[in-house]
Amino acid sequence: MAILDFVVSLLVDISFSWMRMLIALLASILLGLAIGIFAARNERAEKIVMPIIDILQTLPILAFFPFVIYIIVGSLPGYVGINIAVIFLIITSMVWNIIFGAFEAVKTLPLEVSEVSKMYRMNGLGRLRKIWIPASMPKVVEQAMLSWSIGLFYLVTSEIFSTANSTYTVKYGIGVALTNLALSGNYFEYAVGIGIFILFVVLTRALLFAPLETFFSPYNDQKQRKHRFSNFMHRLKTPKFPKIHWHIKMIDLGHHNHSSRGANAASIAGAAKPTTKAGLMDKRVYALLAVAAALLLLLLLYRIGIISNQDLGYEYDVLVALAASFARIWLAFAVILVVSVPASVYLIFMTKHRNAYVTLFQVLASIPATILLPLIALELRNAPYHNELVAFVIFVLSGLWYVIFGTMSNRNAIQSSMLEAKKVFGVKGIKAWRYIYLQAIVPGLITGAVTCIAAEWNASIVAEHFTSTALGNGNVITSVGIGMGTYLDAQLTAGNYWLMALALINLTVMIILINRFLWKRAYNSVAKVYK
Amino acid sequence: MDIMQVEDVSYSFGALKIMEDISFSSQMDQFVSLIGPSGCGKSTLLRIMAGLIKPDTGKVLYRGKEVVEPIKEISFVFQDFGLLPWLTNLENVKIGLSASDMDDDKKTEVAKKLLAKFKLDGFENSYPNMLSGGMKQRIGVARAIASEPRVLLMDEPFSSVDELTAETLRSDIIHMLKSNDISVNTVVMVTHNVEEAVELSDKIVILSNKPSHVKEIKTVELKHPRSRRDPEFMDLVDHVYGVLTE
Repeated sequence: MAILDFVVSLLVDISFSWMRMLIALLASILLGLAIGIFAARNERAEKIVMPIIDILQTLPILAFFPFVIYIIVGSLPGYVGINIAVIFLIITSMVWNIIFGAFEAVKTLPLEVSEVSKMYRMNGLGRLRKIWIPASMPKVVEQAMLSWSIGLFYLVTSEIFSTANSTYTVKYGIGVALTNLALSGNYFEYAVGIGIFILFVVLTRALLFAPLETFFSPYNDQKQRKHRFSNFMHRLKTPKFPKIHWHIKMIDLGHHNHSSRGANAASIAGAAKPTTKAGLMDKRVYALLAVAAALLLLLLLYRIGIISNQDLGYEYDVLVALAASFARIWLAFAVILVVSVPASVYLIFMTKHRNAYVTLFQVLASIPATILLPLIALELRNAPYHNELVAFVIFVLSGLWYVIFGTMSNRNAIQSSMLEAKKVFGVKGIKAWRYIYLQAIVPGLITGAVTCIAAEWNASIVAEHFTSTALGNGNVITSVGIGMGTYLDAQLTAGNYWLMALALINLTVMIILINRFLWKRAYNSVAKVYK
Repeated sequence: MDIMQVEDVSYSFGALKIMEDISFSSQMDQFVSLIGPSGCGKSTLLRIMAGLIKPDTGKVLYRGKEVVEPIKEISFVFQDFGLLPWLTNLENVKIGLSASDMDDDKKTEVAKKLLAKFKLDGFENSYPNMLSGGMKQRIGVARAIASEPRVLLMDEPFSSVDELTAETLRSDIIHMLKSNDISVNTVVMVTHNVEEAVELSDKIVILSNKPSHVKEIKTVELKHPRSRRDPEFMDLVDHVYGVLTE
């Protein structure tokens, strides 16, 4: 009987969690359609909205969670507030790629489609209902599936997030339930719970996304409907993991305006296409945002204290915390590379059982690393430097899959003729690695790396500082001395609204600078060569 | 009587002049072809006539009134059909009635009748991607004439279907036009196929390249149905080729 009670209570918890996820997904799809279609149909909106979303999607928004909780629970106390905070946060993890999906779908429609709508003088609502929304839905559903797996990470992390203050925790949820089981040493039940969690992930895919995908398939033919199951199995095997949609790519797709018929002639004549102007606008928006962030930072410094020494003291603390977390996260990233690069090469070029591995990895990757945090923290309790070790392990587990799947998702770009050339010319051993394998995976590796590091930053709010408030006592389970996670938790507990904001602005500026001067440069230089 | 008039139309893309001072007209019951080398802006010209693109200078008139945006009297058949893959064939035809004040039942009725006319009854509830190219283009034509337009603009309507299907489609359309079976008074078609132009047209507007201007307007007075083996037909074809390549 006890086991039945246990399973029922787990199902209740998982229902609460899935309810949060579904609400967030629905909101994300509505928002994604609205923003994506609007930006795709309105050039001015595109130039403003898309760069902003470009930045937002690479920010570790989970790090904003303490701040969001403080604001929302502050004005809406209790159960409602914390749930809204959690749902809001999941939306911020889900919505970006859905926006890009809708945007891309509308943007890449053949010119004739928009001409049809004009020629037959369809009104705005008609166009939305009969053209833009149905055209977007296949991409939106595809992206929604990615959103779901990213959302799960946010869900669990925000559920197990805790400070000394118990009003900042949700009461029911699979994250809470599993944390409780692990912390109270019920490892068997904990394992059963993770099993049920995985089962729900697979069922959601089969019962929600697979039918949605079939329903919104752009090629509505009956055959496909009949083979729903085999379709589902096939899709399970196709790696789908977040990809960074650099806006630069969108601009390349973006010149089918009304003159595109003339554009053919223009390209024959060697006339320059008007993309440089768009690129310039893009840069201007970035510069504007950077200046705005800098001004906000100055304003904050001014507001916190009048004495400049104290201001500098606050900023110094934040910078030290940021540097400490940065070092941990990039060290973990280096370890991830050591593991995932050979693994990706093996998966792409060497194994015959790729599909089996990918299916296995997909299931493993569906377990958010943070759900393992309580277990790992307890198991490593007696190890030297155990706090650092726990954070490090969680970072590696959070980021690993992103690199592997990022690299895998670029697999199609690797032509089979490359491998044939390798065989014909007998390229082997170190040379094969140096001239073929490592080079071929670089573009996928870059997009994988960006998402990997964002995932690590996301994990930092629990990996660096974790308490058992969910269990009823406020014991600190693990806490690194210095780090962004620790810093944000401490400021939330103390209610230091301005210091939280200060830390987040520093983090945001750092991420934008790294994106701008490292990743985007790397991506652009690679894109030039690999196209 | 002139139904459509194109008066001194010029159009550039950026610094590149695509067409210069193009003028021609199409009269009641006339079938007009625009022919020219690829890249000469034929399709752009047709879109200017439809009110989809604004010319830099010059104007397009429908019964003496300037066309500045799509109007219900002028309809369009697209080269790649322009069907919406997520809508059923019936719904695709109903798109042609978007701006009509008919209620939905009436629209369905009209669309069904049109599908039957084009021998597509039974395919109302399936989707365009399950049809052959010829069937798709018949849906494209059905949609174009649903709102009973007076002018039908066709952008290489037979170039995306196989030759055998194209032949049937051509004779269907010419039959409908000449028998006054449909509301259309005049057709303007873009093509790069000389035989096709001679077979269908009462008037052939031959365009040059870079920038495009009117080289010659050739009237064709052969009786329908026209045979491609008729010496007069072959002479006309040779003449048009000659003008195109000179």
